[in-house]
Amino acid sequence: MAVATWRDLQGRVANPRLQRLLGPGLVIAVIVAFGLVVLGDPVPTWFDAHVKPFFDDINDWIVHNNARNWLFTRFFSPIGDSLTWCVNGVLWMLRNLRWPGVIALATLIGARTGGLRAAIAGVFCLAACGMLGFWDETMVTLALMLVAVIIAVLIGVPLGIWAGVSDRANNRLRAILDATQVLPTFVYLLPAVVIFGIKEPSAVVVTVIFAVAPAVRLTTLGIRNVAVVATEVGESFGCTPRQLLTKVRLPMARRTILLGMNQVIMMAFGVVVLASLVGVAGLGGAVLKGLQKNNVGKAAAAGLAIVFLAIALDRVTTGERRAAHRRRPIAVAMERLRRRLGGHSWAVPAVAAMSVIAVAVIAHLLNLVDFPTRPRLDIVKPVNDATKWMKDNIRKDVPIIGGTQAISDFVVVNLLNPLRDLLTIPAWWIIVLLMGVVGWVSAGWKLGLICGSCFAAIGSLRVWDLAMDTLSQVLLAVLLSILIAAPLGLWAGRSNWVNAGLRPLLDAAQVLPQFVYLVPVVVLFAVGRFGGVFASVIYAVPPGIRLISLGLREVPFAPREAAMSFGATPRQELVKVQIPLALKSILLGINQVIMMVLAVVVISGLIGGGGLGLETVYGLTKGEVGRGVAGGLAIVFLAIVLDRVTQAWGTAGRSRLPAAQVLVGVG
Amino acid sequence: MKKRTMRSTRVLLVAALAFAASCGSNAKTESAPKPAEATTPATGAGTPATDAPDTQATTAPEATNGPDATTAGASEPGAAITLAANPWTGSAVNAWVAKIVLEANLGTKTTVLDIDENATWPGLAAGDIDAALEVWPSGHAADYDTYITGEKSIVDIGLLGPDAKIGWYIPTGMLADHPELATWEGFKDPATAKLFATTESGDLGQFLMGDPSYVSYDEQIIANLKLPLKFLVAGSEAALISAIQTADTDGTPLLLQFWKPHWLQLEVDLTEVTLPEVTAECAASAAAGDGKYACDYPVDALYKVASAKLATKNPAAFKFLSTMKLTTEQQSEIAGLVDRDGVDVKDAAQQWVDDNQAIVQGWLK
Repeated sequence: MAVATWRDLQGRVANPRLQRLLGPGLVIAVIVAFGLVVLGDPVPTWFDAHVKPFFDDINDWIVHNNARNWLFTRFFSPIGDSLTWCVNGVLWMLRNLRWPGVIALATLIGARTGGLRAAIAGVFCLAACGMLGFWDETMVTLALMLVAVIIAVLIGVPLGIWAGVSDRANNRLRAILDATQVLPTFVYLLPAVVIFGIKEPSAVVVTVIFAVAPAVRLTTLGIRNVAVVATEVGESFGCTPRQLLTKVRLPMARRTILLGMNQVIMMAFGVVVLASLVGVAGLGGAVLKGLQKNNVGKAAAAGLAIVFLAIALDRVTTGERRAAHRRRPIAVAMERLRRRLGGHSWAVPAVAAMSVIAVAVIAHLLNLVDFPTRPRLDIVKPVNDATKWMKDNIRKDVPIIGGTQAISDFVVVNLLNPLRDLLTIPAWWIIVLLMGVVGWVSAGWKLGLICGSCFAAIGSLRVWDLAMDTLSQVLLAVLLSILIAAPLGLWAGRSNWVNAGLRPLLDAAQVLPQFVYLVPVVVLFAVGRFGGVFASVIYAVPPGIRLISLGLREVPFAPREAAMSFGATPRQELVKVQIPLALKSILLGINQVIMMVLAVVVISGLIGGGGLGLETVYGLTKGEVGRGVAGGLAIVFLAIVLDRVTQAWGTAGRSRLPAAQVLVGVG
Repeated sequence: MKKRTMRSTRVLLVAALAFAASCGSNAKTESAPKPAEATTPATGAGTPATDAPDTQATTAPEATNGPDATTAGASEPGAAITLAANPWTGSAVNAWVAKIVLEANLGTKTTVLDIDENATWPGLAAGDIDAALEVWPSGHAADYDTYITGEKSIVDIGLLGPDAKIGWYIPTGMLADHPELATWEGFKDPATAKLFATTESGDLGQFLMGDPSYVSYDEQIIANLKLPLKFLVAGSEAALISAIQTADTDGTPLLLQFWKPHWLQLEVDLTEVTLPEVTAECAASAAAGDGKYACDYPVDALYKVASAKLATKNPAAFKFLSTMKLTTEQQSEIAGLVDRDGVDVKDAAQQWVDDNQAIVQGWLK
């Protein structure tokens, strides 16, 4: 009966396009009626997932039982103890190698993996850490990071392989990975302390959770991208599935997996400061100490050491993929050495290890304990002078533009306030409905359902207004980031010089702890939302630039050449050929910009941006774990919606450019 | 050739496994005594903690019984201990003074650990940290209930000495033109309150608070006294300090929650706004959390806490830390050296201990 009427109704609408809209239209009408009658505005009190009390109860249970329950005494605390043991073991080794030994070790590993260039880069960066005056802090941080990165890779690569061979695993892992990347670390820092103990264990656990995602994602990507031809050849030669994996797919995916390692390192260093909150001083502690006294120069010096250490570790461990062609002379020399030593495969490593030990022994004999105090790289004063100059000169009374504070006021009044009103004034269920429609238009009813339910879930977390406040800031930050990243990315995509010149800057922007620029941002823009937006732009621009430039570079030369031979000007060739062909990867760059903006929402909370970021900070500091979790989950839901919608735009039509999927990729 | 590489990777794998296994086995041996440790202090040191802050006098003597009972075994320098230094100068000063005395006079090897104040409590409860010598009561009422009265895994070892005070502050310079701002009633007039307006507060005056983890009744005070102010959280102490310094250089109005002692009070001239006196009703409202708070902040009598395990682990250190006290003047003398003159905290503490041996000896009696 119902079916008959439905057919009847459909039959009466002649236009086929209208016919297709009929179903969804009816659904919308029902929801509107439901919203008007039942839901109302604000979010009704019965619509509550009780997330806060739930997690508060869990936290209480852990606090009350962690000295008694076997789960903690027999499982978590042994894990914690072994992590402490591992980190301290590595630190003991690094300290006993003394600084000459550590530098020698870095040189040799760098020479082995990436050739001369990587070795030089590694040595230079490590020496810079010492010259900044932070040698011992650098070793503390290095020990922690080595353990965390190794564990993240040991967990991430197998998971990535699993997701690479199984679609089901891939789908399940993806939501979890989104969550680990976006959920503010503040949310799980305190529970980690309660469960695993202060110092090294919780520092390692938190770093691993935050940094594991790229290892999984890039391994999966690498395995899935192995050409069908290659696997078919393997199959036709009678490979078992296991052989196919270990002999064909993994070796061919090696470069992508290495890229994953690079991103693990970058992400891990991004949260170095957190380790110092739980008692592992290191470089993060030096950053916080500078911040305590509002000494930007001190914080920046330590921040710069973090950047140098991250680059050193990255170049030394993953140098291979970049400098493969430069490896020759060293490879040849090594091969010669190996032959002379009787052709054993362990000969070269053994000689290397012995020479490192020899250097360390000499260092002990010469009593070289501390890094030499000269030459010294002193940036404390220049940075403080620069901050003071900014404070005195560009903050206000600048002709025409009025200064940074005027800009901040203008943006708050004319952009942020209207945008926030737009999201908060309509009844909450209208926004939920709108998001459903956006999802439906982007990629069909499934996505519409996901978007609508995510927003409804935010309502049930009881953080609706905060979430809309954050969303307005996120949207503005994304817009600004794209305005900056797009031209720079296009430029870097066309010019090798620009690309090479930007790279260290992008590395620095990704790794420099956001705490370092917290104070300058407040000085420039005063406490408030614009400062938060600005800080997230700094963090979100690098992946955007990288992916856009990568996309342009990946456009095959043939169509461009064809266009040029038809007489296209360089401009036409860029606008009409290169950009359209790179569009998918550009859209993916935008998607990563959004994820990065959301990943640092918490920083905006530390500058006066309020919203969900502040909510998660409450979770860390007041011991109100539930409140932090609710705020964090809301961020995750926002991320899922924005991620899926932009990815839908990026993948509409044909499949994604594989290399563009490289996420935060390295240019 | 190929085979050899395969073998070498296998060797590496085995080595890695062995490494992991050694980590694991090491952990097992370390963790084995833990449960035993956990049970003893619960009965031993737990009792004094039940009657909380006022009974410190009884805590100390009871602790003295500890060493007497175990002198035979523990006459040697006691077990090494760890003291928390939270991220402000006062806390580091106390820890370093204690460390110097513990090492010189009791032979107890002492580590000072820089750690966030909220991570300190789980650390103390687990026994990874042995004591924290400066707790601001206003910020840790919930922790007190959980760990000291509830779990009994942490014990209150008495007052440190100095009193701290949170309050509302404005730049002193503002009082010249607006003497009425010396008390809260001056803020009732919307026109005066608007002096403090920013783009974030619109037509209302802006009230700024720093780190959200610090105790704050400001929202309630504003609402209950019906003041035309808007409450804004800066989010971190660093952001708050930046805002103060900017207001100081520009001479712009700023109304904020701040406290004494703080190093910035030495550099920037701030005046505390008088709020209604603390009443019994307010104290009750704060305890009940009913949102009716409308008074000034109470004085914070800073206190010391120790892990419940410390009394058995190193009774002499436990007794010393319970007795040790600093006056406000003594603490700010050392903190001043650090904050004003840029002396390293460990040198400043050493110098003070050298100059004040009489006081130090008093703690050791």
